[in-house]
Amino acid sequence: MDLSVVVPIFNEEESVPLLYRAITESIATSSMTYELILVDDGSSDNSYAVAAQLAAQDSRLKVIKFRRNYGQTPAMAAGIDNSSGQIIVTMDGDLQNDPRDIPILIDKIHEGYDIVVGWRFNRQDKLFSRKIPSKIANWLIGKVTGVPIKDNGCSLKAFRADVIKKVPLYNEMHRFIPAMASIAGPRLAEIRVRHHAREFGESKYGLSRVYKVLLDLMTIKMIASFATKPLVWFSLLALLPLVTSTILMSTAILPVFLDEDMSIPIAGTGLIFFTLALFLIVGGAIAELIVRTGTFNAADYPLMTSTLDEVGQETKTETQANIQEPND
Amino acid sequence: MTNRIELSVIVPVTYGQQDSTAAATEVAALAKDYLAGLDSVGKSFEILFIVDGDKPETFDALSQLALTEQRIRILKFAKAFGDATAIVAGFRNSSGEIILTLPASPQVSSQAIPDLVAGLENTDMAVACRSDRVSGTSDRSKNWRRRGFHWLVRILSGERYSDLGCAARAFSRKILEEIPLYGAHHIFLPLLAAKQGFRVTEVVVKVHDSKPKSGGYNAKFYLQRILDIFTVVFLVRFTKKPIRFFGMIGSVTFIFGMTVLSYVIFQRLFFGTPLADRPALLVSSLFTVLGLQVFALGLLGELIIFTHAKDLKEYTIEKVIN
Repeated sequence: MDLSVVVPIFNEEESVPLLYRAITESIATSSMTYELILVDDGSSDNSYAVAAQLAAQDSRLKVIKFRRNYGQTPAMAAGIDNSSGQIIVTMDGDLQNDPRDIPILIDKIHEGYDIVVGWRFNRQDKLFSRKIPSKIANWLIGKVTGVPIKDNGCSLKAFRADVIKKVPLYNEMHRFIPAMASIAGPRLAEIRVRHHAREFGESKYGLSRVYKVLLDLMTIKMIASFATKPLVWFSLLALLPLVTSTILMSTAILPVFLDEDMSIPIAGTGLIFFTLALFLIVGGAIAELIVRTGTFNAADYPLMTSTLDEVGQETKTETQANIQEPND
Repeated sequence: MTNRIELSVIVPVTYGQQDSTAAATEVAALAKDYLAGLDSVGKSFEILFIVDGDKPETFDALSQLALTEQRIRILKFAKAFGDATAIVAGFRNSSGEIILTLPASPQVSSQAIPDLVAGLENTDMAVACRSDRVSGTSDRSKNWRRRGFHWLVRILSGERYSDLGCAARAFSRKILEEIPLYGAHHIFLPLLAAKQGFRVTEVVVKVHDSKPKSGGYNAKFYLQRILDIFTVVFLVRFTKKPIRFFGMIGSVTFIFGMTVLSYVIFQRLFFGTPLADRPALLVSSLFTVLGLQVFALGLLGELIIFTHAKDLKEYTIEKVIN
């Protein structure tokens, strides 16, 4: 199968039929074999029934029903895990993304990119509660992760399946897929996509996620930097307390040789920092053990995106942000 | 197999039961009682007694019953493994679509069995709640302990239950297929099931009409269960995001330590208060270091999740079409 379109659905009963029609129409023009996967994320309305009805008539429509609401990332992960296409396109179920953009994204993948990210350049959302926080967040994510993407929050993305299937997706990581995938050095493109104002239902996000995004961002940064060499990373961290402790200990002990009193609080503080240094080194050793026993294999990542040329040397395209206009 | 078994009953006979002639008679009487209750359900059933460890008298009494009653099966552990393991072992040896766990002590009347199975109509799990636990028993101090325990469960997990101590529960087979059970987690099975998106209801049932045991639970039991609550709540709320849990504790400790530490250093630099004889220096650096350590542990937790994320499915799928 060439293409899998994964759409998480949460309380979108009005949108589902429209979405189904729009997606089928947009792909019908190409000769690709495809499947459409709707993941019902524990909706409390009729979304699942509506989708199931459509699926009864079209075998290319696959519907996955969650037992309860798990959130957008698990929904995407479930869709991706159950997909069989070579290319995977993800998008929102609320019709704010335009399915007509799917072929443009796919063309980009065919050009040789591993990940193509949509950029909602004329975003139809509230300025203060959505657009401004999003601008700041995107700037920060770009700075911290080093993957300069203008719109991380846009769900309309296309992936080569063998890349995305290896990226761990959990918590609220869908926002950071490009950053997570950047461990593998994928060829990344960002293209402008259409964005529509919400027609049905309620927006499911609020400002409260800022704290979570920040914490997730920090975690990703750290994991991305130490996942392949935790002991080295933790040992480097241990250096600072080790130096502090050496200084404190010598300040406390040296006077003893001059027949003066040893300062107990200073010596104690030195000892405390020494334990921290030891703790971090031991922690690094445990981290090494975790990485070794986990399913994560450092060699998988570069091999996913590297190519062998005729001479047998590995070449890899630099991560780049390439912007293309939709042609309408 | 001639007819398929619809209902598998699991009765763990565990450490709570003494092995004496009296206890053996009690279990045998209970088995007959349960059989009567099960007959009134009108489903084909099997009843599995899990004899946990060396209990020759109980085992003999049950074997005696099994001779005449085909539907009784006995599984005997070589050593005591506890309730959760007994339930899982029983589950693996059962074939019914509905699993019913029943206590091996007289907790509920046999009438509870059809009630529980009926309660399963629109839900995935029906948890028995003994009627006297709703109104309160005569023993005041026991009432308080029980209320305190369930209050703690409610505060920590956000789920309201009134009788987790009652082992009588009916549930769909899917629940144990998806939830790994170990330690004392069987008590919190309703919580774990609800977390996985299963629908759980409480069914008020009648108490067994034999005299209640005088002992009840002692303080040690409650202490262990309280520690279990923390484990379960951690598993339920923070499994996939350890940094949010550790990070919170870690940063509070770290910030407290750093504040005091910078105050002490500030005093040294600008007011010349000597650092050398200040215990505050020790205390604050201890807190700073502790905060960093907790945070580092959170990172390790995060690393575990990251490296296993592909195996640990965060979601549970109820149905797939096409």
